[in-house]
Amino acid sequence: MSSGAVLFLMAFLFLGLGYMGVPVAFALMAGVLVATSFTQISLQSMVGQMFHGIDSETLLAVPFFLLVGELMTSANVTQRMVRLAQTMVGHMRGGLAQVVTLFSMFFAGISGSSTADVAVLSRTVAPEMDKEGYDRAFTAALIACASTMANLIPPSIMAVVYGATGNVSIGGLFLGGIVPGVLIGIGLMIYSHFFGPVGVRKMRASMSEFVDALQASALPLMIPLIIMGGILTGWFTPTEAGMIASVYILVVLIPLLNRGHLPHLWRDFMYTGMLYAIPLAAVAGASAFGWMLGFLRGPDIVAAWIADYAGTSPGMILLLLVLLFVIIGDFVDAVPAIIIFMPIINKLTELGNINPVHMGVVIITTLVFGLITPPYGLSLLVASKFVGVSFASAMRASLPIYIVFIVTIAFTVLFPDVVLYLPKLLLPESVGCFKNPSGVGYICPT
Amino acid sequence: MILCCVSIVGFTGSVFLDVVTREIGAPWLWLQQVTTGFFAWGVFIGMAAAVRRNDHLYLVEITKRLKGPKRTFMESFNRLVVLGVALAMVWFGYKNAMLDLGSFRMPSLIPLTYYTASVPLSGLLIALFAVEQLVNGWQKGFEGPEDTDDFGRVAE
Repeated sequence: MSSGAVLFLMAFLFLGLGYMGVPVAFALMAGVLVATSFTQISLQSMVGQMFHGIDSETLLAVPFFLLVGELMTSANVTQRMVRLAQTMVGHMRGGLAQVVTLFSMFFAGISGSSTADVAVLSRTVAPEMDKEGYDRAFTAALIACASTMANLIPPSIMAVVYGATGNVSIGGLFLGGIVPGVLIGIGLMIYSHFFGPVGVRKMRASMSEFVDALQASALPLMIPLIIMGGILTGWFTPTEAGMIASVYILVVLIPLLNRGHLPHLWRDFMYTGMLYAIPLAAVAGASAFGWMLGFLRGPDIVAAWIADYAGTSPGMILLLLVLLFVIIGDFVDAVPAIIIFMPIINKLTELGNINPVHMGVVIITTLVFGLITPPYGLSLLVASKFVGVSFASAMRASLPIYIVFIVTIAFTVLFPDVVLYLPKLLLPESVGCFKNPSGVGYICPT
Repeated sequence: MILCCVSIVGFTGSVFLDVVTREIGAPWLWLQQVTTGFFAWGVFIGMAAAVRRNDHLYLVEITKRLKGPKRTFMESFNRLVVLGVALAMVWFGYKNAMLDLGSFRMPSLIPLTYYTASVPLSGLLIALFAVEQLVNGWQKGFEGPEDTDDFGRVAE
């Protein structure tokens, strides 16, 4: 059987089995194992590849960032940050909608998981929005859209997986993700102000109320500083930063802010212990899939197709990759998608001479969009479930908000200098800069 | 689930000790091997636990919208696929683990088998859980309360 036919069979089996309801990790492995039997590669080495896919210290950051989100959510410490957001933007038109977006920006700096963000907002702000007469479909759509920022504003699990598999600086990806993350936040606030429900107008919070709320949430808001501060100063790797943040929550935050939660901590650990295995099982399967894809010269085939249209123009390559990943993100979860397509991404990064951090930010921003698009819009599915509205109506309500994401993706493609500004400023080596031999400043690739 | 808890507590502790010993200038290099061991075992044991709880990532969950014989057929087929992959993990994972007796991790020279044995063991558990679900499903039907709360459980 030709390489192309084996490639097609493997992809067909993965998608076919996946859409019949086989879990992603097993659909990937089934596709790989069947395809492998048509090649000279041994099945034993493919099963071994599953282990090697997760045998990476960098991927250890995934459970820590999930643990941080889980501890913050279940200990109910996040309520203080919701209060802070209310004192800042609660008086605006569509006040609670603004609170959802601003809180998501805060929470994105703590947790790397959009699902945790959806869970928090659905428990805290969604009932309030219901009382104030917000359309439930709008509430679900907004919560889902806002939660996507968790994958862009650091720490981001997608960035960890992308960096670990693509050998790209995770610190650089974290910093690069801030611009699109904040752009989405601002876009959602503008949309809610002009096109969202009015809600109940409230008085602007007094300065003392704001200061009180700020004091109350000062301890949780230290977490982003610990994570990014540790990484940027070179004290910690992203994995260690995640661990330090978890220890900080366990030793400082919960004992001081919600002592009653201490006896229930074992439950959080037990749940996170299984929760982190879910995406990483998909990583294990996707790793074998990606290896086989590379062996069958899949990256060369796709890169040749894209090069036929785009030549070596970075803009065109990025545009075609965005189109490809918008489609992929609609059907496949982001984590396996990153790993499966990493050989293709690497090939095209080289072909277009694109900065790997810029490429990563563009791909992650595009995949984030997939969290709210059908049929596999995970954030929208979870939000509609929690808010108690059908997926179809939540999707209809989210359609006009797609424009925010389209504009953000276009921005990240067209303005690499803006996206790379923070990585260049704070972590120059992450974007390929090196120290000037004169000893002053850095020399960066143009 | 308890093993998942042990694994995450284990590698949180070992990464913590790794940072502390490094900062005080007396690093325990073997801690990194302990960490990756807990991590790998945690992933593969968690993978099996997620099979039992039906908590894995799915592209779509069309089977949960089906009823009667169609549901039984699809659920059985899906679990047989999982069973097939699990058995491959058991057999080929076992062969890999035996081969890895001759490979060692630096600096403490632990055989790689201590890590890669997680794959066949996970495969064995997954196979058992898949068979358990098949038998239960054939006896009592595959419909259950989780049909209406599939996504909620992932996030809670």
